[in-house]
Amino acid sequence: MNRARANRMMPQLARLVTVRDMAPEIKMFGVELLNGNGAEFAGTRPGQFAFISAFGTGEAPFGIASTPGRGPVLEFAVQRLGAVTTALHELGEGNMVGIRGPLGNCFPMKAFEEKDLLVLGGGVGGAPLRPVLHTILDNRADYGHLTILWAARHPSLLLYREEYDDWRSAASTELHLTVDEPDQDWDGDVGLITELLQKIDPSPRNTVAITCGPPVMIYYVDRLLAEMGFAPDQRYVTLEARMHCGLGQCGRCNLGEKLICVDGPVFSMAEVEQMRESYL
Amino acid sequence: MKIISQGALTELLDQVAREKRLIAPVEEAGTIRYRPVGGSGEIAFDFARPLLSIKEAFFPPTETLLTIARNGGQVTLQEVMPEEEQVIFGVRPCDARGVKALDAVFSGERVPPDPYYGRRRQQTTLIGLACREMGETCFCTSVGGAPDEAGNVDLMLTEVEDGYAVEAITSRGESLLQGMTLTDVTGAPSPPRLNDPVPVPAAGAWAEQFEDAFWAALGERCLSCRLCAYVCPTCRCFDVRDEPLPAGQTQPDPQTQYLERVRCWDSCTGANYRRVAGGHNPRAEEGERLRNRFFCKFDFYPQQYGPLACTGCGRCIDVCPVNVDVTEVLAAVAAMVPVKIPEEVSA
Repeated sequence: MNRARANRMMPQLARLVTVRDMAPEIKMFGVELLNGNGAEFAGTRPGQFAFISAFGTGEAPFGIASTPGRGPVLEFAVQRLGAVTTALHELGEGNMVGIRGPLGNCFPMKAFEEKDLLVLGGGVGGAPLRPVLHTILDNRADYGHLTILWAARHPSLLLYREEYDDWRSAASTELHLTVDEPDQDWDGDVGLITELLQKIDPSPRNTVAITCGPPVMIYYVDRLLAEMGFAPDQRYVTLEARMHCGLGQCGRCNLGEKLICVDGPVFSMAEVEQMRESYL
Repeated sequence: MKIISQGALTELLDQVAREKRLIAPVEEAGTIRYRPVGGSGEIAFDFARPLLSIKEAFFPPTETLLTIARNGGQVTLQEVMPEEEQVIFGVRPCDARGVKALDAVFSGERVPPDPYYGRRRQQTTLIGLACREMGETCFCTSVGGAPDEAGNVDLMLTEVEDGYAVEAITSRGESLLQGMTLTDVTGAPSPPRLNDPVPVPAAGAWAEQFEDAFWAALGERCLSCRLCAYVCPTCRCFDVRDEPLPAGQTQPDPQTQYLERVRCWDSCTGANYRRVAGGHNPRAEEGERLRNRFFCKFDFYPQQYGPLACTGCGRCIDVCPVNVDVTEVLAAVAAMVPVKIPEEVSA
């Protein structure tokens, strides 16, 4: 065990305890380490990520979508897109995978206490925001008003639909949904998340905005937030990149002199604006 | 200075080869490569800069991190650690500097140490050999090194008339010399022949040149072949993937699939280096990738770890099929630096 901990490239064996269809091409995997989700994962903080191995294909990084306070099973929302995610989608409950983590920094949830929070999630990219929402909802009195803007291309691609009632019914919490391409049953907003943001027109006063989604969404949302008066240190994002170690060594995820894996994946725009290389 | 004769040195190396893995420069089809040798007879003692640096002795082009046995949904893993002690003879000062640059990344304080690299490093003794002269494309003296720099190795040798001047740098180097007959002579080895220095921009000068059109123009030439990174003593980017275990290795159970997870060299100049699943490629242009490589050497790495990540070995200049020349890049960036015009002295 000590040896495995010292060798951070060595995955820990884990079992898929739940595999659930969330949306077309998106599955939610519940993972339990064979030796229990020990101390490492008990300390997982919102924003952190882990590598999942599909043995025989390789491993890839995914934002951790679960919160230790809500149970020991690690959860990951995985869209089938590349080699590793395709291999993962072929696995079922009971199959074994590898896990390395938790890795990276996290949202400074302590610093967000007492503040109003604006959480903006787009598509599967919004998956790592779930621990942020859970942390706020489970410690509701510690945070101010919570406004969630949740977007997807199509209603079927909206993540965490089964939790919306919980989110909506929490104290001082509002949820706004929008899709680009509505279906017949859709009665929410239609259009990009930026249009929804314009409609909501939140005040930047004592508020922190947290955005997670595809880079182009982050870019336009962030630009709009800046126009609305949110200062760089009131705007947080999580960035993602191809990675092969998550430990600051493989070199793959650099944005200039910053490494997304160890300096991120959570950044304030005050940090991002200092970076010479664009995250786009 | 203490002198070890050629005879005594070959004896020492033969002794080492009997006990440990000895890696030394060997002539292979007209090029010099560092290779494991069975004895001193195979070694090229008089050699110019080898084709590849000694990087591969610590960070192999491909190495197995673990083996995987998969039977249906069940998996067992076996960590694979390098175990062999090795001695490298004929380490040029630039390459020894390169190892130091790798140490910061793989065994440093900034991120958790890599046990594979650390194990190899710990089990390796470096015997340095000073250069008598700088090669045509060498510029080590411009980036802080020297052809006869003695640091960064365990034992340093410098060719002199009657053999090699020898200096133990570490206790490990000292123990290699135990029981050896060394001659004490006065004087010092004659200094190496140096090239004229090339201009190197000040560390702070790079930042403002990130958006310069120079990089796109340079990128027009780049073939994204990645040779520059493979020959570089400090490039250390890698890929990790699972491969079937090569035939011939122990595969006892016919129902089980045997695989290995390998780590292999990669380079930020490769076209798909940052391409993510789904096809988005954040560094799609050759110029953006070359810019990243040069900034990594002279700006990013220094910000992260201190020293430059270039040893001035000149290998990338020699191998580039389209003549991208790091010294020309340095000169160009140095020339871009806005000249500070002194305020007019009021008459």
